[in-house]
Amino acid sequence: MSNYIVLVKQVPDITQITDNAFDPETGTLIRSRLASVINELDTQALALANQMRQDSGDQDGKIVALTMGPPMAEEVLRYCLSRCADMAVLLTDRALGGADTWATANPLAYAVRKIVKDFFNGDNDYYVVSGMQSVDGDTAQVPPQIAEELSLPCIAYVTKAEFLNGRFEFTRIISGGSQVVTARKLPAVITVAKYEYPLFATFAAARWANKVEVIRWGGDDVKARYIGAKGSRTRVIRVFPPAKSTRRCRQVSNVKTLAKLLVESYKGDGEKIGERGEQQRRYQLPDRRADKFDRSFEATQKANEDFKILGETIRELGISEVNQIDEYLKGRILHAAGEHFHKGALEDMINGLQLTNPSFDGEVWVVAEHTAGEIHPATFELIGKARELADSLETKVGVCLAGYKVESMTKGLIAAGADKIYIIEDKLLEVFDPTAYRKAAADAITNYWPQIVLFGATARGRMLAPMVSYRVGCGLTADCTSFDIRDSSRKGQIAILLQTRPALGGNVMATICTKDSRSQMATARPGVIKRPPPDVRRTGELIRHKVKLTDDDISLEIIKTELGAGEVNFNAEIIVSGGRGMQSRDNYERLAGSLCAYLGRKLNCQVEKGASRAAVEQGFVERIHQVGQTGTSVGPKLYIALGISGAIQHMIGVANSETIVAINSDPNAPIFKHCDYYIIGTVEDVVPELVQALEAV
Amino acid sequence: MQNSKDYKKVGVLIVGAGPAGLASAIKLKVEMPQLDVCVVEKGADLGNHNLSGAVLEAEPLHTLLDSAVPGWHDSDDAKDVLASKVEKDDVMFFTKKLSFNIFFAIKFARWLGLGFGQMTHKGDYSVSMSKLTKWMGRIAKDLGVEVLTGFAAEDIILDKSARMARAVKLVHQGLDKEANKQPNFIEGEIIGADFVVLAEGCDGLLTEKFIEKAGLERQAPQMYSVGVKELIKVSVEQYDKFTSERVVHAMGYPIWTPFIGPGMFGGGIIYAGQQEHLSVGMIVGADWKYFDFNPQDALVNFKNHKFVKQFIDGGTVVEAGAKMIPEGGYYAIPRDPQNGAIGKGNVLIVGDSAGFVNMLKIKGLHNGIDSGIQAARAIAETIKKPKETALRYTELIDGSNVAQEMWSARNFRQIVGKFGPLQGMPLSVLGALLPKFTIERDYEAMTSLRYRLKPKQEFDKDSFTAMAATQHREEQPSHLTILDSNICQTKCTPSFDTPCITFCPAGVYEMVHDEVKPANPSNCLHCKTCQRKCPFDNIRWTVPEGDGGPRYKRM
Repeated sequence: MSNYIVLVKQVPDITQITDNAFDPETGTLIRSRLASVINELDTQALALANQMRQDSGDQDGKIVALTMGPPMAEEVLRYCLSRCADMAVLLTDRALGGADTWATANPLAYAVRKIVKDFFNGDNDYYVVSGMQSVDGDTAQVPPQIAEELSLPCIAYVTKAEFLNGRFEFTRIISGGSQVVTARKLPAVITVAKYEYPLFATFAAARWANKVEVIRWGGDDVKARYIGAKGSRTRVIRVFPPAKSTRRCRQVSNVKTLAKLLVESYKGDGEKIGERGEQQRRYQLPDRRADKFDRSFEATQKANEDFKILGETIRELGISEVNQIDEYLKGRILHAAGEHFHKGALEDMINGLQLTNPSFDGEVWVVAEHTAGEIHPATFELIGKARELADSLETKVGVCLAGYKVESMTKGLIAAGADKIYIIEDKLLEVFDPTAYRKAAADAITNYWPQIVLFGATARGRMLAPMVSYRVGCGLTADCTSFDIRDSSRKGQIAILLQTRPALGGNVMATICTKDSRSQMATARPGVIKRPPPDVRRTGELIRHKVKLTDDDISLEIIKTELGAGEVNFNAEIIVSGGRGMQSRDNYERLAGSLCAYLGRKLNCQVEKGASRAAVEQGFVERIHQVGQTGTSVGPKLYIALGISGAIQHMIGVANSETIVAINSDPNAPIFKHCDYYIIGTVEDVVPELVQALEAV
Repeated sequence: MQNSKDYKKVGVLIVGAGPAGLASAIKLKVEMPQLDVCVVEKGADLGNHNLSGAVLEAEPLHTLLDSAVPGWHDSDDAKDVLASKVEKDDVMFFTKKLSFNIFFAIKFARWLGLGFGQMTHKGDYSVSMSKLTKWMGRIAKDLGVEVLTGFAAEDIILDKSARMARAVKLVHQGLDKEANKQPNFIEGEIIGADFVVLAEGCDGLLTEKFIEKAGLERQAPQMYSVGVKELIKVSVEQYDKFTSERVVHAMGYPIWTPFIGPGMFGGGIIYAGQQEHLSVGMIVGADWKYFDFNPQDALVNFKNHKFVKQFIDGGTVVEAGAKMIPEGGYYAIPRDPQNGAIGKGNVLIVGDSAGFVNMLKIKGLHNGIDSGIQAARAIAETIKKPKETALRYTELIDGSNVAQEMWSARNFRQIVGKFGPLQGMPLSVLGALLPKFTIERDYEAMTSLRYRLKPKQEFDKDSFTAMAATQHREEQPSHLTILDSNICQTKCTPSFDTPCITFCPAGVYEMVHDEVKPANPSNCLHCKTCQRKCPFDNIRWTVPEGDGGPRYKRM
């Protein structure tokens, strides 16, 4: 008999963002102005747990809903109770507030332990089931970190669970397809990527749910080691509104030009690269700066200005060495600087000025991802970025390459900018198993201690990185879109990595730095960082690292792997969507299908078919392909809309796409006001021409 | 472990968490704290389906809260919801280019003691109906009322005699488009109840079914108006110019121009909200005769009128919605033909479901709350004699301000409907003297005439619906049915060019392969205009799964 612990989270309802949710002065989103709802993927996790309990035929299995949050988070537990949960635990305590994923996973894991002890009588036959990620944080880190804390296998991105021969087989999404796996031992952590049938509340259960007591635990009840802002391993430096991504709305009259733009947009060579407009100055270590009082590489604008004023004041007073500054001089500086800073701040700054050594040392690493002898493009992008960072820090770029018979791939990595390749080869690493791979990578990291470790924010990277970082005790920032090296001199930090990422569904940007960690770790969104051209003349060093792996380190049994079929993968880099203008199912299949297949081959990337509600309504394609506010929201690099008019509901659902291209025969189609490039013409005419034109690009 | 069986029976089941239903629930808890009172609401959250202008005549609410929540005046909610007291009250008459303030005429009428002298609002509150409802819901919950949102009731089950209700049936959940059961299917639960209060709002699904099943009758058919409203964020200058304590009602253009037409009943509103928000709306009698008319067209014209434009030009629409208003008045109240009861046995009809809108005041919110209070009193008094509850309720209503107001306004809307605004308005002065007369139903008024002022550009219904934040689970059977599609093709298309496509404010109806269909049921705003305005009475609205519908926050 299995029991189930379902992790749920209360999140702001980002589908209902209205103008008054934004601070009129700073333009940032005010979270408290948004309604709170249960994270949608967690509702699917709950339904999956319920289905697992039903299918396995043991009605005695308990479902316990668990959340951590403020007292009002009780609402999401009532949601669970009014559907299928038997009990609910709310972990709530002021001391737990302000936590990052590290300090969230830790107390939740301790709560899981306590639930097992108190309510399951220590029975280890249980599953922890949760949504793959939350819509606000969007990191997908907490469940794998919980798995790591509890030393459990983690099966991520599950879409289906089947009870066969006395055990569960899980279908999960992997890059480019799906895989059926089973956990080799229980308990296990399951994260749900899509489960179509969330449960409905019943009237009777809803009444019961409102009356039953929710179990409340505070920090003292679970006695977790790392809690709250204090126990966190990352710190938010700054929150700011994203650059207004006004669409270009450019009309293209020629299909050839459109073909070129498509390819350029995909490759990120268009005008809109990354999230930042202005070109940043490259970082210099303090020792390299011409002026020893130069502190113009601070993490915040304010600090830069303060140091500028301090520098000028010091110079005016004729001070040449920082350690000359005694109480008397401090007084004079304070007097001269007027109201710019008070004494405490000045002392921090003077202490900061004395620091010149970087806070971290070691190399800049990238953990390589590969499938079937091919390195994932994201790895190359990251190496390019790592190169830039390493040059600023005057250190080397290392790549951690784990697998079996992978040496052939090292050349490409060196050409991309790596100085050293740390190869971990083992037969047990032949197929990607999260537990084995995380052990390999963590072992290499703790052996060499690089100062920065980057992972691609791919399906695999987003699950491996949290496990690795948790294992080695370092903070991790997910899905970064830009990296900078900066100082935070007043806090005594020199040459630290600033990690900038979107949050709350892209409605805010946050700059984050690592704290209390020996290495700074982050995953980066594929496609956001430009991949530099390879330099085949570069040379590098191969270092073999041996990790002791045994059969026990393999957590999953892979039953079947299917590539390129079955599930809809809206995480694809390109989505080709059809609307009413496709006219018929035949057209949809022929035109959208051919463009998809062609782009996939040509650009060697994932392409998925989407559809507007109208197209689904007209029966051109199955509903699971529906994109939009009521279907699935998507954010590919390139969104191609064929015959879609652009109802606002649809456009909201694709707003996060980097580039939107529209083909429509109606010159007044609203989509033309919400896209980057458009061409007026019928889909039937334009698409075949476009495929031809792509051939020539 | 949950034992759900005990939870399928309640003492008082109130259908609909609007002001009337919640007033009932609150009052019941005040009178009988031990009574088990449950409110079911189809909206996903409190206030989501509540939309009105709204001007609130606060007395019944004050009375209710005084008895329920000592010190309520000082609560943050009270300060927020009742922040705008009306100090300036304008009644305007618009022509296409000009505007005249005719408030003096209303004052004069008031001085003369004439009916439409009631149309003044000074001292009332300009409120957000959604926020008011949400607040009342919280009060009810604090008092121990079980308010369950996201549950849609589909039918009311009577005992064999059809004199008493036994239970209320909820909708099935988890059917797919073709009504096949999905893995998460849940059979519509049957909730037993000792008393049922029907507080569904205008054109209630259970109310209308109950009227039919229990044999209640209306002396005159219910008449409706359709209201469309936008909440617009304007500049500080515009807001200051309008002033924060003002409500404007406008008659005339764009729905009524003497002699040359158009000739429709209704008018426009501009109400000041909070923080530079103005409510701009258009209310049009559903007995309009122009086949190509859509109340949103009138709204566009209204917003483009010079007087209105000065306050809203350049503003941003932050919310939008549509709803019907029951305007038939006194003679359209459903009653038991035997004893005149507004309900039967243990079933009471309150608020807009009963049609307690005073057309002379153009307000009904206060009557909704008042009738809810009376229903609660009746239940408390007859708790052991449920067979007599509806009659007792009716006695209490008849002795209350509600009945007095309804009687005084009894003929007003019908006269205007019959004679048109030009003759009707003056005639209505004599309204109280005229006998009751029959008028046609709203849908029968449709003609092949065109709306003369049709805007050139088609109204952007998609943005409107998006601003209503309406959503439904897509994969469920359509909750809108065209009874006989043959009629659409052979009768409606040739005569009226399928007006449902035009007048549905959410663009639900579309031509699909040359056949008109409720193609986008998930856009539905639950206004039910289609059910009442289809010229062949050929559309039926039923309730979709709970949680569906608009998500009004500040409407």
